Amino acid sequence: MLRSTEINPRQPVGLQELAALAAVAHSSLGPDKRYKFIQDDTSGESALVCSCFRIFENLELSSAVAQLVHETVQAQQKVYNTGSGCLLFLAGAWSRAALECVHRGISVSRIISGMSDGFDICVDVLRKCSISTDGLGAVKPDSCTTTSHGLGLQVSKEPITEDSRASLHLRGTTSVGHKTLNPSGHRKIKLSRHFCQPDSKNVSTAPQPHQVFNIAHIAEGLSHGCVRAMNLVVEAVKLHQDVSCSTFDVTKVVTCVVPGLPEERACVLPGCIVLLSDEQASVAHHLKDQPLKVALINGDLSHTFRHLGFSRPAGVQHVIEQLALGSDEEEVWMVKVVALLLNLEVNLILVSGLASEKVIQHCCRRRVLVVDKVKASILKAFADATAGVPVTYATQLTKHCVGTGVKVEIRRDLGGGSERKSSTAVNISTGGNSGLFTVILTSCVRGKLQALEDQFWACAYRLHHALKDRAVLPGAGATEMLCVHHLRQRAVTAYSTQESTAGGAADLDRGVVLHLMADGLIDYISTVMVNTGRVSKVRARTVVSQQLQEHDGHVDIAAKLSQLVLEGENEDSDLKSNGMDVYDNVSVKQEAWRKALDLLFLVLQTDAEVITGVDQATGAQENLMML
Amino acid sequence: MSRLVKKSPSLCVDLPLDNTDVCNKLRLLRQLMTSCYGPTGKLKLVHNNIGGHVVTTSTSSVLLAAISSSQPLVNLIKTSVLNHVSRFSDCGLFAACLCLDLIEQAKQSGLRGNVCIGLNRHFLAVCVSYLQREDCCCKVKLDFCSSHNLIALARSVISSKPACLLTEQETLHISKLAVQAFLLTLPCDKPGTVSLGQTVTICVEGHSVLNSAVFPGLLVDVTGVLCVNKSDNLSSHRMLLFSASLAGDIPELGEGIIEVSSGVDTDARILDQLLDLGKQAVEDDVKLFVCQKVIHPVLQHYLRSRGVIVIERLGITLMEPLILLTGAHPVATLHTSLQPKAYGKVRDLSIRQFGSKTLLHLLAHGESAICTMVLCHRNETMLSELKLVCQKTEHVLRLTLREPYALFGGGCTETHLAAYVRHKCTDRVTESAAVLGCSESEYLLGMDRFCSSLESVAKSLEHNGGNSLIDLTHAHNWTVHADVMNRCVEGSLGFCGCGLVEGGSSKKWTYLNTKYAEFSPAALTTDSPVQPRVLDSFTAKLNALQVAVETANLALDVRYIIKDVLDLARF
Repeated sequence: MLRSTEINPRQPVGLQELAALAAVAHSSLGPDKRYKFIQDDTSGESALVCSCFRIFENLELSSAVAQLVHETVQAQQKVYNTGSGCLLFLAGAWSRAALECVHRGISVSRIISGMSDGFDICVDVLRKCSISTDGLGAVKPDSCTTTSHGLGLQVSKEPITEDSRASLHLRGTTSVGHKTLNPSGHRKIKLSRHFCQPDSKNVSTAPQPHQVFNIAHIAEGLSHGCVRAMNLVVEAVKLHQDVSCSTFDVTKVVTCVVPGLPEERACVLPGCIVLLSDEQASVAHHLKDQPLKVALINGDLSHTFRHLGFSRPAGVQHVIEQLALGSDEEEVWMVKVVALLLNLEVNLILVSGLASEKVIQHCCRRRVLVVDKVKASILKAFADATAGVPVTYATQLTKHCVGTGVKVEIRRDLGGGSERKSSTAVNISTGGNSGLFTVILTSCVRGKLQALEDQFWACAYRLHHALKDRAVLPGAGATEMLCVHHLRQRAVTAYSTQESTAGGAADLDRGVVLHLMADGLIDYISTVMVNTGRVSKVRARTVVSQQLQEHDGHVDIAAKLSQLVLEGENEDSDLKSNGMDVYDNVSVKQEAWRKALDLLFLVLQTDAEVITGVDQATGAQENLMML
Repeated sequence: MSRLVKKSPSLCVDLPLDNTDVCNKLRLLRQLMTSCYGPTGKLKLVHNNIGGHVVTTSTSSVLLAAISSSQPLVNLIKTSVLNHVSRFSDCGLFAACLCLDLIEQAKQSGLRGNVCIGLNRHFLAVCVSYLQREDCCCKVKLDFCSSHNLIALARSVISSKPACLLTEQETLHISKLAVQAFLLTLPCDKPGTVSLGQTVTICVEGHSVLNSAVFPGLLVDVTGVLCVNKSDNLSSHRMLLFSASLAGDIPELGEGIIEVSSGVDTDARILDQLLDLGKQAVEDDVKLFVCQKVIHPVLQHYLRSRGVIVIERLGITLMEPLILLTGAHPVATLHTSLQPKAYGKVRDLSIRQFGSKTLLHLLAHGESAICTMVLCHRNETMLSELKLVCQKTEHVLRLTLREPYALFGGGCTETHLAAYVRHKCTDRVTESAAVLGCSESEYLLGMDRFCSSLESVAKSLEHNGGNSLIDLTHAHNWTVHADVMNRCVEGSLGFCGCGLVEGGSSKKWTYLNTKYAEFSPAALTTDSPVQPRVLDSFTAKLNALQVAVETANLALDVRYIIKDVLDLARF
């Protein structure tokens, strides 16, 4: 039999598998991300990855649970672009909690109802401790002088800030010197000169220092260790400034990766920057500094391209009645298109699909610049800004489809000439009103570019969501600590009602579930602390439990903790007062936790796997039950 | 060079139910089915051995469709359950569990095959005639003046699928929506033959279930192609619907061949024809231009530039509801000019936003029984199960129009039926046994087996190690949690499975599948204000009962299985 089915009974196996898969996420938590190599043994290819979803993207997943995990992580990534590490870690931590419950004989339905209650408690905590982004900077006018971004308000104090930052930095590095065994202490160097640069530049130019401060402050708190990437985001928002910084439209951002330049060269520029070949660059050179007419093509630019859904029937024969010499179809099409373009005085064509090499060359000869692989959202932004109408076929172009007022500028400073093929960076802009901007990401190491791009987008989306939610959460584990506190409190209540015999065993079980759920969050906090590299796992756990005991769930727990996580065991009191605020996203966190629980619930309720298409021989080998 | 392969002799299995391999497979199937049964049932991950998408489900229609077996008996049961589900949507797992349990019980009882079959048929007839009686004590008449029982029925179907991962509140919300959608598909005051409308389901991933909603009329996904000018607020818009592709290609030729002269540009010719159509549509004041398939971008561009709303790739599933809603006649060719009667009408066009989806809301010009259900859920797996469950619920609700009854859910109907059969048949053992041609002890044994099969199905609703009980007054089904001690069982019983009977000191209970003295299950006092919380579809369950017994009887009747085998050693 070729197609058959077997059933693989696997009650706790699924949970164990989930916990094991989640272990992948351990090192991607916290501000210090570490790279991983994923190597394919058969092909010898390898990938350098830095985030949870990239790991799963590069793994070959054959098991059902792994596939479920992958789908969940993808769904989170698709909408939020961040938070998949947190999702996966908690799915793992809570599945260990569920496993423990199963071992203690708590029924599945009670685990689920207990954990759902726990989640409701957490959501309540998230709602209560979220901080409105409106006036977030204004709330702490005192602390702003000591935080690195408190520059916008009081220019006079800036040198002091720089000083304290520098000394802090020094102290940071010396302490690293003491602990040579610690592998990631050097990460702190990130908070250096570069961090402050864009802001000091801004002090002189920004018309609304308060708002600038506000965004920068939030952004800094949301950077989660990707300071460089977040600085680029902040720069981008500033370029966007006329939109009153209450929102951040990520669809108008383009990233352009330039290999071969040092990472310090990363920057944000208004307009849309693309890398072009020499031939195209020479056309751009001719066109620079003059208003251009633009055609927008939604699809490929080639004579063979047909819109999606167009099918060519097989049974058509072309009958040639007379020998027409040189009537190459492509040639005919090209002549027609070029004539049309010249007639409409189009100088620039933006293509969302691909443009064939031949078309590009043909157009180059007529001094028409063709740029392909333009993102759909960018094409739309150009359409809005230039009053052009995107069309599917070049032959469709008419006068009113053509947009006007585009400028082309050559950026010599960004050309990446290190590779075999040299390329020139060209900025296509629309006189400043399109709101488009390009983030140039550079690295000497080509393999890092992907991770840098991912980090940038993660930061961009974090800020985007914070502004969309109009609220952030106290970060660095503070929110989780509050959740732990409330979960434990509720667990104690459950125990006591159990003793008063009103609830019976159900309340006891509920208490256990809530307690174990809280333990999962403690695991999360302590892993983040361990990953920042300053404490051991044991120490982290003790510190967390000490804090929990000392404070009976007041807001200062949040303040203490954010420093705790940041500063680790550094006892320097100066440093504590200098501790910057760390924030998390409300919706991202809540959704990641919910997805983690959903995943866990599905796996927890599963008792068998039905595999189709297995032949009997392999089925027997793997001890599967055949139906 | 061809080679003649001698056909190997067919393989014949005598008395397949005595074969251990066959029995193991049937037992496995039974485990698979019973473990899925009910609101706390276990889920199954269905996937291909190569990898790819995973389906998480406990629904019989998905699960059985995925299963294929080398064992004809397994396939026989699978097919008959799937047939039942395709006609009645609900109670597939019930049929499968009961059928497999009957087979197993029959084998264990040691009764002769034909005696067993005869007895099963007899007890089935007793059950069916009882269920159809007016004074049957385990069914309620549905009152269409109140939505209470309809919602309870919908809720029972929806909550029986744990893979949807719904909270109490969400379950109730979806149940109300399902009933609302059902009511919207009932045409009002239409003389003549009444035909029911349709519910169209649209799924939106990544949103809370509580955002789900039902709308009268039709919602069409127009994400990304939206350009509606809100300016013209005419009371009715003329619309045009194409079922033919307007992609501008040459339609399917079949076997034929078209010869084209080299100078002729067929694509351009067809496009000209399309544009002529477009021109006529614009002249005839069409405001909404819909095509089931692809529309050539040039035509779309032309129409949009003239203020027409264009929707392409509508898909076959939305065609019928759209035709019903608008009264349009779909145009199947682009080679004739447009006939005036082809045009349809819509009242009011508006845009609704659901997460990332932009939906165009079309309302019927006149009376129509089309509605749209927008289902939201947090992830794809749960959403696909939810969609399935909602469609099932719609079907179950429709079945109530034919027979306006519902049965007590939560296992109460099963235990009640078992008690009824025991009571009814013990009275007349001698004459019944004589009619069936078996001995009295055989009759009693068969009755016991049949009833305990029913009780096992009720029992398999419990998956958390709890115990199932039956009360000795109304014969309803009760569950106690595993950690409740034996002595305090009576104190910890709240309500029975269907929620109609409340526990109390006056009642007596016994564990299910233990012997109890037969009694006549009492009806509940009719003036009781308590309404059952869990209801099962009467029509679906009645049919499932018949399917289960008939299939089990057929399986018990199989004497030989004859298989053609490929002799693998030869290759």
